[in-house]
Amino acid sequence: MSDDVALERVQCQWCQSMNEKSALACRACGAPLDIRNLVSESGWREAPRIRDMTEIQFSSSSCQVEGEIVPVAEINLGAGDSIFFEHHVMLWKEERVPLTVMQLAGGMKRAFAGMPFIISVATGPGRIAFSRDATGELVMLPLHPGMELDVREHAFLLSSHQIGYSFIRIKGLTNILFGGQGMYMDRFVTTSTPGLLILHGYGNVFERRLAAGESIMVEPGAFLYKDSSVTMQVEFQKLGTGFFGGTNMSLARMTGPGRVGIQSMYVHHRSE
Amino acid sequence: MFCTNCGAPVPDSANFCVGCGSQVKRPAASAPVIPQQATAPPPPPVVTPPAYAVPPAYTPPAAVAPPVSTSSMKCEWCHAVIDAGQLSCPRCGATVNVSGVVADRSGWKKVPGRKDMAKLQFGNSFCQIEGAYVPVADMNLAAGDKVYFTHHVLLWKDPQVNITVMPLAGGWKRLFAGMPLVMTEAQGPGHIAFSKDDPGELIPIPIQPGQSLDVREHLFLAATDNVVYDWFQTGIWFTTKSGDESETHYPVGMFMDRFSAKQNPGLLLLHAGGSIFVRELAAQETILVKPTALIFKDPTVQMHLHFEHPSTMFSSWGYWSNRYLWLRLSGPGRIAIQSVFEPIEGEARRMTSFSYATEMRW
Repeated sequence: MSDDVALERVQCQWCQSMNEKSALACRACGAPLDIRNLVSESGWREAPRIRDMTEIQFSSSSCQVEGEIVPVAEINLGAGDSIFFEHHVMLWKEERVPLTVMQLAGGMKRAFAGMPFIISVATGPGRIAFSRDATGELVMLPLHPGMELDVREHAFLLSSHQIGYSFIRIKGLTNILFGGQGMYMDRFVTTSTPGLLILHGYGNVFERRLAAGESIMVEPGAFLYKDSSVTMQVEFQKLGTGFFGGTNMSLARMTGPGRVGIQSMYVHHRSE
Repeated sequence: MFCTNCGAPVPDSANFCVGCGSQVKRPAASAPVIPQQATAPPPPPVVTPPAYAVPPAYTPPAAVAPPVSTSSMKCEWCHAVIDAGQLSCPRCGATVNVSGVVADRSGWKKVPGRKDMAKLQFGNSFCQIEGAYVPVADMNLAAGDKVYFTHHVLLWKDPQVNITVMPLAGGWKRLFAGMPLVMTEAQGPGHIAFSKDDPGELIPIPIQPGQSLDVREHLFLAATDNVVYDWFQTGIWFTTKSGDESETHYPVGMFMDRFSAKQNPGLLLLHAGGSIFVRELAAQETILVKPTALIFKDPTVQMHLHFEHPSTMFSSWGYWSNRYLWLRLSGPGRIAIQSVFEPIEGEARRMTSFSYATEMRW
């Protein structure tokens, strides 16, 4: 944490937000401010382990992170605030919180777990809580105006209403890689108002900032999110064994500039 | 003195920073000394090259203590002799417990906790273990150093790290048994990282020359190239019959992996589910464990099936007859178990034949 003596503010190393000097956790992303940032020698920064019951502010609402192994995001929506989310992530809600469905272009073609792909919207005031069904971490990504983030499909837990949502279908080589259906990637864009995006990564989550032109090879199943300035290209490597021609290994070449987030537990896409 | 990486105060005798785990850099005259060599005769007055290639970029203040520590202790997990001032073992990354062995009354030792980002060394390369739920082994390979792994555990790598296929002995038999056939190898210099897709613990096991370890299948993550990989048939099986269909089951797997080091020590990385416990069996000492909980054993530890029939007030009926299936391990040697284990397929069905087994009827 770097101290700015003149302003008596502490800058959060994870989301760059400024906090009061006495704060123990960042009010925008929940990252602990009193312990050192964990960065590996290879440059991966571990997503901050949010302390149990940490509270985060966004707009006129707040989010409390509860539990550690399968954490829950409990949202206390202020009047007029709303959040949107996919199905299968809602844990509980107060009865008075109304739910609506977001109108999506092309959404009818996309399905998830055999159901039509629907983004639901919950509007305050009231409480509603979310979790995903696997060991992992919540990744708090406060998006500042002008930010554009691409996220692995079904990895986002919820997003505040200030953030614009769309999805793109990745075609070409990735069709082979991610199965015949192709792969969707969710895109989150902020315009003039900041918002909060919460992702859930399986296992542990790490982030690395790539310089312009810098590349890293990532197992495609481990990809979690990236700035839209980072390009992603699939490369195959033939692994010959002498028997039946061997197998192929596919890795995604991520090239900067921008952030790349990965998860340490992933679904292995069979390469044969 | 202070760490050149994070600035934390570091004991003069430490080779690694207690705060961030990075190596403490010293001038060439006080080059890092491998802990095991601490008791070796004093080196000749000529300037000897450092034990491993680390450029002495930082000159500490004049009042630096001599590089050889006067006190040493043993890592409870891998038994490496390390400086007493260290908090993490530089060989296996385990947190060094100064208060003594963490053991329950029954003799199981829990694998010592590991600080996040703990760093360990093998050859001229380093491995950093990152994350708590599904840990990642992030290896910084020096030029010429190699690691091998099954290709589905690769998480990310630098573009320049080259990956090739490693030939396996007896590949045909493994192929027919449905085992992973492709073992891949990566060569330094550069970074490469591995992780499994289950919550659990990463177990770094330094293997000394002449030492071997038998590991249950599918727990292997990666190993350095001086660890020799082989496999053998467990010879532990039972057959069940359902209608006209009979099926053979292998509760500890049809094959077991055997890792050994010849002339040079090596590093083996395993991944197991939940918490991990280890214990040393004396000669002839036996213990019953669930077959799928076994992680590894010394080759001296023998194993076979064991059936246990609890006493009951009711006359037993049916083929199951209230029976428990165990793996009976007998010493001498070290064994390790995991707290997350799968049910044994076919355990409750009618058994028609099985490999050598002992029995207990209460």
